[in-house]
Amino acid sequence: MDGHQSTIEVEGPVARAQLSLFLVTCWVTLVIFIIVGSVLAYATIRFKARTQADEHAEQPPQGHGNPLIELSLIGASVLALVIIAVPTLRDIRYTYDVPAGLKGDAYQVTATGYQWWFKFDYPSEQISGVGPLNTGDELVIPAGRPIHIDLRSVDVMHSFWVPKLAGKVDMIPNRANFLWLEADHPGYYWGQCAEYCGESHAVMRFRVIALAPREFEEWLDNQLQPARSVPVRSTAGAEPTAQFAALREFSQNETGSSGVFDNPSVPPLDAWRAKQFVDKGEDPALIARGKLLFAGPASEGGKTCGSCHTIRGVAGAVGSQGPDLTHVGARTTLAGSWIDNTPEQMRRWIHNPEAVKPGNKMWVNGYQLNHITLTPDDEVALVAFLQSLK
Amino acid sequence: MDALAKSEFLPREHVAQKPLVFWRPTAKTGIVSWLTTVDHKRIGFLYGLFALFFFLVGGVEALLIRLQLAVPNNHILTSAQYNEMFTMHATTMIFLSVMPLSAAFFNFIMPLQIGARDVAFPRLNAFSLWTFVAGAIILNIGWFQASGAPAGGWFGYTPLTTRQFSPHHDIDMWVMGLQLLGVASIAASLNFVVTIINLRAPGMTMMRLPVFTWMTLVTAFLIVLAFPAITIALVELMMDRLFGTNFFEVSNGGMPILWTHLFWVFGHPEVYILILPAMGIVSEILPTFARKPLFGYPIVVFSGVCIGFLGFGVWSHHMFTTGMGAMATAAFSVTTMAIAVPTGVKIFNWVGTIWGGHLQMRTPMMFAMGFIWLFMIGGFSGVMHAAAPADSQQHNSYFVVAHFHYVLIGGSLFGLLAGIHYWFPLMFGRKVSEFWGKLSFWVIFIGFNVTFFPMHFLGLNGMPRRTFTYDANMGWAQGNLIATIGAFILAIGVGIYFTVMIYTFFNGERVGRDPWDARTLEWSLPNPPPEYNYRSLPHVRARDSWWYDKHNPAESHKPEAGHDGAHAGIHMPFQSIYPFTAALGLLVGGFAVSNMDPGTGHKLIVALIGLAIVVGSIYLWSLEGNEGYHLHPEDEEPSGSGHKTH
Repeated sequence: MDGHQSTIEVEGPVARAQLSLFLVTCWVTLVIFIIVGSVLAYATIRFKARTQADEHAEQPPQGHGNPLIELSLIGASVLALVIIAVPTLRDIRYTYDVPAGLKGDAYQVTATGYQWWFKFDYPSEQISGVGPLNTGDELVIPAGRPIHIDLRSVDVMHSFWVPKLAGKVDMIPNRANFLWLEADHPGYYWGQCAEYCGESHAVMRFRVIALAPREFEEWLDNQLQPARSVPVRSTAGAEPTAQFAALREFSQNETGSSGVFDNPSVPPLDAWRAKQFVDKGEDPALIARGKLLFAGPASEGGKTCGSCHTIRGVAGAVGSQGPDLTHVGARTTLAGSWIDNTPEQMRRWIHNPEAVKPGNKMWVNGYQLNHITLTPDDEVALVAFLQSLK
Repeated sequence: MDALAKSEFLPREHVAQKPLVFWRPTAKTGIVSWLTTVDHKRIGFLYGLFALFFFLVGGVEALLIRLQLAVPNNHILTSAQYNEMFTMHATTMIFLSVMPLSAAFFNFIMPLQIGARDVAFPRLNAFSLWTFVAGAIILNIGWFQASGAPAGGWFGYTPLTTRQFSPHHDIDMWVMGLQLLGVASIAASLNFVVTIINLRAPGMTMMRLPVFTWMTLVTAFLIVLAFPAITIALVELMMDRLFGTNFFEVSNGGMPILWTHLFWVFGHPEVYILILPAMGIVSEILPTFARKPLFGYPIVVFSGVCIGFLGFGVWSHHMFTTGMGAMATAAFSVTTMAIAVPTGVKIFNWVGTIWGGHLQMRTPMMFAMGFIWLFMIGGFSGVMHAAAPADSQQHNSYFVVAHFHYVLIGGSLFGLLAGIHYWFPLMFGRKVSEFWGKLSFWVIFIGFNVTFFPMHFLGLNGMPRRTFTYDANMGWAQGNLIATIGAFILAIGVGIYFTVMIYTFFNGERVGRDPWDARTLEWSLPNPPPEYNYRSLPHVRARDSWWYDKHNPAESHKPEAGHDGAHAGIHMPFQSIYPFTAALGLLVGGFAVSNMDPGTGHKLIVALIGLAIVVGSIYLWSLEGNEGYHLHPEDEEPSGSGHKTH
């Protein structure tokens, strides 16, 4: 049980408390199982009628019960449950909210569930004229500090679950739930929605990236900046760069949508760090074309992406139905953390969202409603633009 | 099938004096006899048939789920189909399979165990059966419609099931189907309570009742008290969906958590409704095959009643992750642990029953023993869930799926399968072959464990429920593949079981009365029992009444003069068509209402027609009267009376 969403190989105090309570229940029930199971097995073997004669023999002593045994067993059961109840009550108090002594150190975020992605707001990072910093899919937090997460939903019930750090709490519309967690050390953690929320519930995922305090501050500084712009140096023809050239066919049973960032030879956190850097071989003209397609007016070929997505600093990209994409190039995942954020996967997503994520709103409320169609060149340009947003 | 065949004694000259609409059906064979029957044995048989049919339907749904999850990123089912599949698998197994199978036994066996000739309200009993069928049809008809089968999960959480997020009629049909099932269950339960309280044979005090009858009583009370909660929830959801009210409409102040509470106030007692009958069956089988009485009968009965009461105080353990606050979470954690005590006590008593006995390991005994082992494991994972902080990792993961399948299959289903084998000779006069019965047990036992044990580890490894796919790099592929293989082994075991049962029904070894040398009153009857059950009402002298009579023959042969008006004959109720037609009206009306769109006048007309059929049926039912006819079984040649000889 050592997968990415393991509840056993935990890496935070809340999950650890929950695990140690689970182990208490395991021990108690194991002891009971061994005792009752042995008695049961013994009785089954010892008192079995072995021969035909045995079966039709005199009836065995017709005992009706033994109150002393009964009451002792009831007493023993209650005792066993008390052994579980005491740490349960203690851990309910501990895991419910940030412990009083640590409250001063707690960092505040808000997680909001959408069908089918997670939005993360940083209320302490206000951007003047805009509101709190917000991102999607990947929650970056400082490691070694308690994080208080307010949980909201804009549509149906969802649930926020990053097993290695904490048990889940539901995101219920019209209800002010919250949870707290802490990452022992910097790392890259997998999370998933854990309340059935419709067609793409299974692929509504997220990541938590914990960074040492200084690295976290650097990340915040970058995030607070508006979108990076790549000046167009020349008007040379926008030939697609090699990395964006072919649309690879994605086969069924493709192993792991986190294949690129889940590489045994590169720790996921390092892969995430690498994603913060600008890609080699950026083509400014292609990027400019992608920006126009994204946020430009329809008369100039704009595809209305900006009516759902915000990219701060890009006029025309001010929508808030979909995730904020101001720094999308620095994320390791897309589409509700369902696919890797590589140029290929991004192109696959933009090419046919419905095939990637059934029923997704980008398709239903975007492509279908606004009759968006993209040529392969369009897709390449959009990918170049979005990947440049580090 | 003699109990279900025609009786030669229906006086042909007894023609109803009333007008045609009050004609009382007299057919004893053929389809009309089945549609108009008021005989609890026939009604029980029909419940059993439908339950086993829907068990296969639910099983196919499960196999499709397992096929989809066998490998990562599979494409056997689309996401939408998968969501229908898990919704319907659960709804079908719980409401259309386990509950009706329990009802089959309540109907057939309970009146025989208390020495009665039928339930208190035979026509109401038939009405419950046909209304159950109506509800089952409405739940499943979505498979054949464009709107699809219901896909909101078996607990239908709001706001997902409100009109905004589930705009099609599948949820309306789900709501209506469950409402009809609720009507059926409540009517049947009231019937059983009245029967047990009022129609016990002389000398059958409450503390001499067989444990199965006690569990019938407790389950009936649970149904009557729990179903109103889900009825309210369903009515509110229906009003939101059809009439624009705002119970769960967040934009207008509605609160989705309200649905969650109402559902689970029903939902938790529901799981006890599902397990108590099986526990009752096991409590009959173990003493019979251990050849000694149930250890600690009063405690077993009392713990069943305790579970019934306490079951209403633990519902929010399904809601530990909804942010109820530390106080409420702690309270429900503690009450949930408390309810483990009466549940565990039963296991101790079953072990005590076996201890010191002469165990005959026949097929029913194997299933009953399997029940004890598997229910124990399921109970342990339940105790793990009771610790709320641990539960916050387990909730909505495959750990829960493992838990409830251990208690529902390893518990409820094993108990019911045991009961089928056990009472088959009584109901049909034939016995299932030991070899095939035991083979089916082992294949089912092995297949079940291979399927569900790995799910504990999948859950602990972070795999959530109700997900149509998963990635290969999450570490879940191996566990899922093993579980899928196990599911097919389980399917083979079920196939063997069903084949053997059907074969035995038509062609199996015939056996005489009381083949197991059992302890309770129903075994004193000819097998199959005659229409009227008891020629003369038994006089009960002790618990395990039949065993007492067999071992104290001098006492039991005292003639009981004039107790049952032997001269006038045995009063039998007339059959009636109106329970069937009332249910038909519910089907028609229910279907129309759940498919209504604004502005579709014709569906409203159909709904009104349905209502008219219901009202008309009930009106005529109430006027047709409760007369009957009389049977004189002493005119028959006496069939083998007295107790079994080896």
